Amino acid sequence: MTKQMAFYFDASACNGCKACTIACKSKNNHPVGITWRKVYEYGGGTWIADPLDPAFLKPNLFTYAFSVACMHCENPLCMEVCPAAAISKDDNGIVLIDGDLCIGCRYCQWACPYGAPVFDEESSRMTKCNMCVDVVAEGGKPYCVEACVMRAMDFGELEELRAKYGNENAIEPLPPASITSPSLVITPHRHSQPSGKGTGRILEEV
Amino acid sequence: MTLRDWSLIVFTILVQMSVGSFIVLGVVHFYATRKAGLEEADRMSTRALLAIVPVLVLAFLASLLHLGSPTNAYFAVNNLGTSWLSREILFGVSFAVIATIYAFLQWRKLGPVVLRIIIGWIAALVGLALVYSMSNVYMIPTQPSWNTFATPVSFYATTFLLGLFAMGVAFVANYAYYQRKKVGCAEAQCELMRGALSGIAVASIILVGIELVVLPVYVAVLATGSAAAMESLRMMTGPYLALFILRIVLSFLGAGVLAFFLYRNASSPGREKVLAYLAYAAFIVVLAAEVIGRIIFYNTHVNIGL
Amino acid sequence: MSENNFLKKVLNETALSRRSFLKWSAALGGTAVVAGGINYGLKTAQAAAEATAMEGEWITAACWHNCGGQRCLLKAQVVDGVVQKVKTDDTHEDTDDYPQLRACARGRSQQHQVLGADRLKYPMKRKNWEPGGGKKELRGQDEWVRISWEEALDICASEFLRIKEAYGNEGIVELGSTLSRPIQMLGGAIKTWGTTSWGTWYYTGPFIGLGDGLSNTSNNDRLDMRKSNLIVIFGGNPAWSSQGNAMKFYMDAKKAGAKFIFIDPFYSDSAMVLADEWVPIRPGTDHPLVLAMAHTILTEDDPILNPLIDWDFLNRCTIGFDRDHLPEGVDPKENFKDYVLGTYDRMPKTPEWASEICGVAPYKIRALAREIAMTKRVSLLTAWSAARTNNSDTWPQVFMTLGAMTGNIGQSGRMTGVSCWERTANGGNQFLVGSGGSGVPRLEDEAINMTVNNNELWDAILTGQYTKDATAKQDVNIQMIVHDGSSSLNQKVGMTKGIEAHRKVEFVLTLNFVPNTNVKYSDVVLPVTTMWERAGYFKGNREHLIWARKVIDPIFETRDDDWIAAELGARLGFDPMVIWPLTPEQIAFNQLKGCWTLNADGATKDTLVTITADDIAELGVEGEPQTGKISLQEFKEKGIYAVPRREGDKYTFISHQAFRADPEANPLKTTSGKLEIHCQANADFVNSKGFTTIRAIPTYNKATEGYEDTFSDFENKVKGDFPLQLVTIHHRRRSHSMLDSVPWLREAFPQEFAISQIDAEARGLKHGDIVKVTSRHGSVIRPLLVTERLMPGVCYLGEGAWAEVDEASGIDKAGATNTLNGAIPTGQGHQGWNTCNVQVEKYTGLIELLPDHKWPQRIPVEEA
Ligand SMILES: Nc1nc2c(c(=O)[nH]1)N[C@H]1C(S)=C(S)[C@@H](COP(=O)(O)OP(=O)(O)OC[C@H]3O[C@@H](n4cnc5c(=O)[nH]c(N)nc54)[C@H](O)[C@@H]3O)O[C@H]1N2
Ligand SMILES: Nc1nc2c(c(=O)[nH]1)N[C@H]1C(S)=C(S)[C@@H](COP(=O)(O)OP(=O)(O)OC[C@H]3O[C@@H](n4cnc5c(=O)[nH]c(N)nc54)[C@H](O)[C@@H]3O)O[C@H]1N2
Ligand code: SF4
Ligand code: SF4
Ligand code: SF4
Ligand code: SF4
Ligand code: SF4
Ligand SMILES: [Mo]
Repeated sequence: MTKQMAFYFDASACNGCKACTIACKSKNNHPVGITWRKVYEYGGGTWIADPLDPAFLKPNLFTYAFSVACMHCENPLCMEVCPAAAISKDDNGIVLIDGDLCIGCRYCQWACPYGAPVFDEESSRMTKCNMCVDVVAEGGKPYCVEACVMRAMDFGELEELRAKYGNENAIEPLPPASITSPSLVITPHRHSQPSGKGTGRILEEV
Repeated sequence: MTLRDWSLIVFTILVQMSVGSFIVLGVVHFYATRKAGLEEADRMSTRALLAIVPVLVLAFLASLLHLGSPTNAYFAVNNLGTSWLSREILFGVSFAVIATIYAFLQWRKLGPVVLRIIIGWIAALVGLALVYSMSNVYMIPTQPSWNTFATPVSFYATTFLLGLFAMGVAFVANYAYYQRKKVGCAEAQCELMRGALSGIAVASIILVGIELVVLPVYVAVLATGSAAAMESLRMMTGPYLALFILRIVLSFLGAGVLAFFLYRNASSPGREKVLAYLAYAAFIVVLAAEVIGRIIFYNTHVNIGL
Repeated sequence: MSENNFLKKVLNETALSRRSFLKWSAALGGTAVVAGGINYGLKTAQAAAEATAMEGEWITAACWHNCGGQRCLLKAQVVDGVVQKVKTDDTHEDTDDYPQLRACARGRSQQHQVLGADRLKYPMKRKNWEPGGGKKELRGQDEWVRISWEEALDICASEFLRIKEAYGNEGIVELGSTLSRPIQMLGGAIKTWGTTSWGTWYYTGPFIGLGDGLSNTSNNDRLDMRKSNLIVIFGGNPAWSSQGNAMKFYMDAKKAGAKFIFIDPFYSDSAMVLADEWVPIRPGTDHPLVLAMAHTILTEDDPILNPLIDWDFLNRCTIGFDRDHLPEGVDPKENFKDYVLGTYDRMPKTPEWASEICGVAPYKIRALAREIAMTKRVSLLTAWSAARTNNSDTWPQVFMTLGAMTGNIGQSGRMTGVSCWERTANGGNQFLVGSGGSGVPRLEDEAINMTVNNNELWDAILTGQYTKDATAKQDVNIQMIVHDGSSSLNQKVGMTKGIEAHRKVEFVLTLNFVPNTNVKYSDVVLPVTTMWERAGYFKGNREHLIWARKVIDPIFETRDDDWIAAELGARLGFDPMVIWPLTPEQIAFNQLKGCWTLNADGATKDTLVTITADDIAELGVEGEPQTGKISLQEFKEKGIYAVPRREGDKYTFISHQAFRADPEANPLKTTSGKLEIHCQANADFVNSKGFTTIRAIPTYNKATEGYEDTFSDFENKVKGDFPLQLVTIHHRRRSHSMLDSVPWLREAFPQEFAISQIDAEARGLKHGDIVKVTSRHGSVIRPLLVTERLMPGVCYLGEGAWAEVDEASGIDKAGATNTLNGAIPTGQGHQGWNTCNVQVEKYTGLIELLPDHKWPQRIPVEEA
């Protein structure tokens, strides 16, 4: 493997609008039920008596949105466990499922900590974000990235993105990066909590 | 629960029961030969041995149901290099084939006994490897409720418990069959059966003991694990608590209490009727416990991450 | 009819080729998509490239809803007349100053509205319809029968004539506008009055000297906003209700260092991204909050030691602040300062007084007031939401007063006003680019001039009477409802009565392309084309103009509204050439040739498009060649003309700048020429309407169904039967009712009823429970969203869902908010949707509630 392409995600800018979700659906002609890029709202907290005036309640909460598709991991657990060797990693580090080989066992779904593989009942095959390989092959950026209204996403070589945006790659609700080494760089939100140490919950997904 | 979940439950339980049965049969056959000669030992075990084959076929058919694209099933061994699922399939098929050959040889009394013994050993080892790979399928870092020592321990426990009690039933039935047909030496068969049943009872009590020791350790592991592990535990002790308790009670009842009575009745001759009832009851109770255990297993796993 | 017959029939009758129809018909499966199979896994880049190789043509497609967004650029890939997918702006590099116009989730789902399984395909009538009505109570439940255009138009024409004959033109109410030309020629129809979007800003804003926020903005432009140090938003959730670039513009200001404070009952997705501080407030109570802030500033101000008030600005540019600055002849007691201090009513508007109403702690009110008064450059912004509350006729006025007191009007980085809808975060009254007129002459025919307030419409039909003005009631007998381009039944207050009214009149006609609520309760439905099937559409925002073209031919038997107007007009005895003298292509061309841009000098305009004789011949229209800035070809390909911006350019807009510098030379269009804190014009206008009355200074008027009305005894704080306040928020799933049925959007944005964690716990309710929400006017059932992001005591439900009323129980299972919002005419007759009292309980009835995206789509006539 020569390169590792990656996503950048700016949690401080994402407003959870799901333009990316729908852009992906549109590009790939996906029906209801098949959503490769999902947006999660993560948050929690409580209302407490205002210390400066206990007669009033004061919000003590945190919340932010996270847009997630396949992370095209450096150690893709999905690929490791797939019995049919239907999952492979190409020269750009893009992890792809070959639908012709897939036996539909859904094992990759159990293995993936990002909820990336999505089963297509119609074809009985597993599907997942293909990082818009066709667009990328022509030097473009994925649809979802170019769709983002908040410019909260970027795309490029992992090392370059790290140089540009830093090394963060695991905040809640994502799993610890050690499991699969996601090809992802994150700018945290002011409320972000580190992976595995969250006190919140996923309030909404799709 | 979906058809898919059931297919996995049926597959794992039947396969493990088959492996267990095969090994239990081997052990019993060994002792029976020493005690009553090859003839009687074969007579005692051949029919049970043959029964394993359709059970395995059934298990594999069930497993196909959990595949979205069963027509592609032969791709399932494409990734022996890294996928435990591929290995499971390979060992599974190998076990089925070798065990079938073994059964065929014993049934038709073909080939030298040494060859049969060698093939038997190979089948047993492949069977053990099969159960090992089955547990490894579930021991992936994203599934904390599966990714513990408890998975192999419980898979092997299931293997032997169900193997023991399935064979217990098989011996009882076999004995009844020969009594009706009036062939062979009833005395010897009766003796062998009682001996086997008391062995089964002792082994099962030990196994259930192990299971009951493992349980609190497992709970402690989950309780101190990741958020996903704790969520699994919360499910086991929340919505699944009733099943969870039922499972423990049934295990204790079947593999403990009934096994104890089995043991008591096996040591004194003339109680074959009671023994038969006990063997059937214990098998059903233990099977139910294992199925419930598996239901909990598949329903309380929680992914790490999203 | 079998599928084959169905196909054959369609193919005989539509302009679609067989091939394209077959592909398109994949969409008829319901949730299935437009064309091609699903793309489940592309093994290699090459395979992927092959799968998407069919380039076809990328045609700029209209996104024409009333969405509050900015008219984003949408391009549809059309191969062989079939829409494959859509993309958005990639016509130039994306920079902060000159950003692309990226479409939102709704725009990107547009193809599923245009080519949705539930598109209306044929004219149809209600099975039991007969001239005069025919089992009118079956409206909403009857079966549909497909009819021919001939029959449909004949029925409409004869009903128009019959009803006019029997009841006069006052027997007809027109709740849209696409048939307005033939209706005007017929002598007109009753129309409705009263604002929707703006709440009280539409009238009061201009009366007091600020803009209404749409045709006239008083927020500075986006580049100047970056100079603000503090941006305070009183109600405003652009992340949902001003999609497109508005959130990005705010983000630019945040990156430039502005602090953001959100004053809102909901910690919105906008606040999630932008807010440095969130001040939760009860709906409809911003007025007392601002009064108390004014009180703090007034009492703490010291011109030398603690200068908080911009006295110079107040004295020069406003009237009504204190007794020394009142219009002539006004009672000196009637001034703002004395009202705030409670000089005469002995009720100082202290933070303690306000906090009891608005729920903000007194210390927090003081801190806010001080921060606003002491920060150098502040933007005081508000969307219309806080003004879409009952009795809020002086809210804009008090809001303006706060801006005036703190001097945040008319200077760079400082502004006070509405930041909403398409104008969010980017004010500026002079557009930088625009299109030409249609060239269609106005009609001169005399028509009746009779209007009924939106809040009284359904009652007028049911009771035969409405409020003409403060002096008189008026009898009326409405027997025909025409829905020509609106979603009135679903979108106006008091839907339960609305349905009753629809079942009372003799004829209901709807023109639409989707089977929404209006359609459901109609007698005759005429299927219209969408903008994707029409000749052209020009729309933009301050800095850009979009030329959307025809993407596909009209599907099935749909027709343009204009065609219908002409055909109907002909049957009413008018000359169709007078109704629509120009072809759709000619109209589009006229708009095109009239396109202009403002030059870099910020003053002169230039023609935008160069048009050659060849272009004209190719378009088949009449016109003269012209030269402009860009070629027709370029405009057509790009589909957009965006004016590049940079800081310091001549397009910069600072509202009220000249006025502030010299108010005498640059008077405002108010009675006094100044900002009117005492505004007699507003009071006179409101008081003439015959609903509730107000004073000329911005006193607090308790809202009907506001916070106080959640109590049966406010003094002793005893809660009543409807103890919670409901905000009917503009929801991400749709634009009002538009797009509500699109499965993708239903899946992405569930229509949940949201409640605070504390209120849920108090009722033993859990996230995901099905709840019944009841107001004084109706009930809905919905899944519950429990969140800490709502102020306790407040709930929200997105407005616009297509009502789905269970006939037996009267419960609306879709959660259309106007089932809950009652018609309550107050003040200037606006609709006060954000003041509504409700109760919530676990639903225990028998109605099954599947997730919305699993509902079968409404397909009125699947076969004929
Ligand atoms: N409870 C509550 N109700 C509200 C609000 C609220 O906050 N709360 N908000 C209010 C506001 S601000 C507004 S602006 C109104 C909007 O109220 P409406 O304007 O009535 O709502 P829309 O859903 O936009 O309806 C437009 C209708 O026109 C149809 N249409 C679109 N284009 C054409 C065309 O070319 N020809 C024809 N014949 N039909 C066409 C669409 O299919 C749709 O049915 O809703 C108001 N209703
Ligand atoms: N997605 C989507 N966007 C839309 C539309 C749509 O239908 N869907 N409709 C468009 C149209 S026509 C219009 S008019 C605009 C309307 O846009 P807005 O006037 O901004 O209305 P909302 O988005 O409903 O509410 C904005 C915020 O105001 C808060 N709010 C409500 N009541 C009060 C109050 O009394 N005080 C304070 N301080 N805050 C309050 C709400 O909690 C919400 O966070 O939206 C436009 N944008
Ligand atoms: S995110 Fe999941 S599916 Fe994608 S490469 Fe990583 S492990 Fe595989
Ligand atoms: S579902 Fe398909 S891709 Fe996933 S592990 Fe099974 S065979 Fe591999
Ligand atoms: S990269 Fe392409 S395939 Fe992946 S989520 Fe984005 S749009 Fe979808
Ligand atoms: S489009 Fe951008 S802002 Fe919207 S949800 Fe996706 S990542 Fe977030
Ligand atoms: S914001 Fe409005 S114009 Fe822009 S894409 Fe969304 S719906 Fe269309
Ligand atoms: Mo509006």
